[in-house]
Amino acid sequence: MNLAPVAVEAIGVEARGLEHLYAGRRGLAALSFALQAPGVVAITGSNGSGKSTLLRLLAGLLRPTAGLSLVTLAGREVPPAERRTVLGFASPELAFYEELSCLENLTFAAEARGLRDRMAPALAALERVGLGARARDRVAALSSGMTQRLRLAFALLLRPPLLLLDEPGSHLDEEGRLLVERVVDEEARTGLVVIATNESREWRLAAQRIELRGRGLGRTA
Amino acid sequence: MPPNGSNSAAAVWAVLRKECRSEWRTRYGLNAALLFAVSTLTSVSFAVGRLPDRSDLLAALLWVVLLFAALASLAHAFVREVEGHTLTLLRLVASPTAIALGKLLFNLLFLAVLEAVTVPLFLVLMGGPPVHWGPFLLILGLGSLALAATTTLVGAVVSQTRGRGALFAAVSLPLLMVVLAASVSGLRAQWDGNPVATEARLLAAYAAVVLGASVLLYDHLWED
Amino acid sequence: MILRLSLFLWIAAAMLGGFLWAPLVTALGASTRVLYFHIPSAWITVLALGWSMLHSVQYLRTRRLDHDDQAAAAAELGVLFCIVAAVSGALWAKAQWGTYWNWDPRETTIFFLLLIYGAYLALRSAIEGEEKRARLAAVYSVMAFVTVPFLIFVVPRLYATLHPSPILPQQGERGAMDPRIRICFLAMLAGFTALFFWILSLRVRLVRSERRALSESAAQS
Repeated sequence: MNLAPVAVEAIGVEARGLEHLYAGRRGLAALSFALQAPGVVAITGSNGSGKSTLLRLLAGLLRPTAGLSLVTLAGREVPPAERRTVLGFASPELAFYEELSCLENLTFAAEARGLRDRMAPALAALERVGLGARARDRVAALSSGMTQRLRLAFALLLRPPLLLLDEPGSHLDEEGRLLVERVVDEEARTGLVVIATNESREWRLAAQRIELRGRGLGRTA
Repeated sequence: MPPNGSNSAAAVWAVLRKECRSEWRTRYGLNAALLFAVSTLTSVSFAVGRLPDRSDLLAALLWVVLLFAALASLAHAFVREVEGHTLTLLRLVASPTAIALGKLLFNLLFLAVLEAVTVPLFLVLMGGPPVHWGPFLLILGLGSLALAATTTLVGAVVSQTRGRGALFAAVSLPLLMVVLAASVSGLRAQWDGNPVATEARLLAAYAAVVLGASVLLYDHLWED
Repeated sequence: MILRLSLFLWIAAAMLGGFLWAPLVTALGASTRVLYFHIPSAWITVLALGWSMLHSVQYLRTRRLDHDDQAAAAAELGVLFCIVAAVSGALWAKAQWGTYWNWDPRETTIFFLLLIYGAYLALRSAIEGEEKRARLAAVYSVMAFVTVPFLIFVVPRLYATLHPSPILPQQGERGAMDPRIRICFLAMLAGFTALFFWILSLRVRLVRSERRALSESAAQS
């Protein structure tokens, strides 16, 4: 894997009738859209409308019940099984190995992705989210806000052209929220950032907004 | 940046190293497995006494002890990921095949440590006839490979069920009967001074078939 | 209706023929008649296993839940016929060999098949979400599929060494089968096979209509 600057503005994300049903409970109603880097896109919608599901579908972590999602890099399609190589993903469900330190969690991620030098990007990512001083602490000792910062560091680790952030501001203090805004702003200059959120402060960062009108809690026919 | 051979190998190696480091920090799985194996061994030895001339019983007892110690512990590698909710992280950094192969290597290493403690203790306590080390280690090694290959796939499946590891032994056992029968027969032949080629070939074929099928199946393990 | 009635009459006729028309094999005496139930049951056991595993592979390829319904229903029926085969075999063994169970190669094989069926169904019952259940059960099923040949062909050979003194009479009688016995036997074999596919189709239809009802009630709530 090389870290040379790729033509990141060439990353595109598309959904065609993308749908997911999970035992009739949670899910995503059929959805179509096309997004192109650079920029920020916000996905909003009531609880249970499928924001997290959509991000997991785009990340290739979840198999759609119907329809398909496409991620293209420099005009070439990236199949779901290889999406992890082009995207950074952070969501509230993302958990780390508690018995390892912040740094070890990130170096493991870098090593598994095939990076020869894993220390430098891991340290850089931790510095960027303000966890530099806690790099050698075990994850078990982190507060929920610091864990959220670690999630952001994990997403940013390889400077991916596509960032999928699910509620990036959760558990964060004012300083942390400013950090999210700064990071999103920086990454969106070259890449595509997709944020799933209901916080007006976060979706106002976005030039485009996709509102999900799934069944959610009630019924919107 | 499509994943290539060296990338996948790096991922397998990374998963193995991470497993070892996690296990070393907590030592939960290995301690439990060793304690289980030694307790089983002690109760067997205590119940039947020394068996200097019963190669059939020795072979059966040794494999039953090893099999159950393995079944009590080998699902752990995946159950830990599910319980710690770390599977998403893992899936974001490595392909399913790399994850499963890394876990398979870890399980093999785990079995090797388990056997390094259990087998000498068994031989000392039970006092069997002299061991022919070449055939003995061949059967033990191939049996462990077959055992690890089967239980890694079943462990990945079972860790996603409602009871987590509870079904592991019951679901693994029907698949492992072949391994048990061939390994016991091989160890016994070795003690009786007979050739073990048939059993070794059978175990190797079994391991190869299970590994081949596993590589095709790993891609279907995680989709939600 | 006509088909069901004719299947019923067919099996009844074959059974009556077996008891009243066909002669007994002298070496077996009255226990000859177990043949009309035991061997067809054993055949259905193997057929159901093959059917189930074939549909498991098909499920993994196509992801259509229809294949999973077939696989599950075949496995459930397989257990039933496996128990019939094992019990009728044990009764015959008691009459012929003096003990209900000897761990002779055939008994060992049928016992393993029962274990595999049991494990497969236990696994299914422990997984929530039908897509996940179908997928993981199919993975296990394929694994069982590749190990079964080892059971059937290799274990009987090795198993004799585990049990040093099995009491196995030579079974040469089957070669010289009276034509009347053969007719009744083949008729029972065909009848059992038809019975299996008929119950299978009922079971699959039941599962499908349950699923439809469930998704309709989910859509309404």
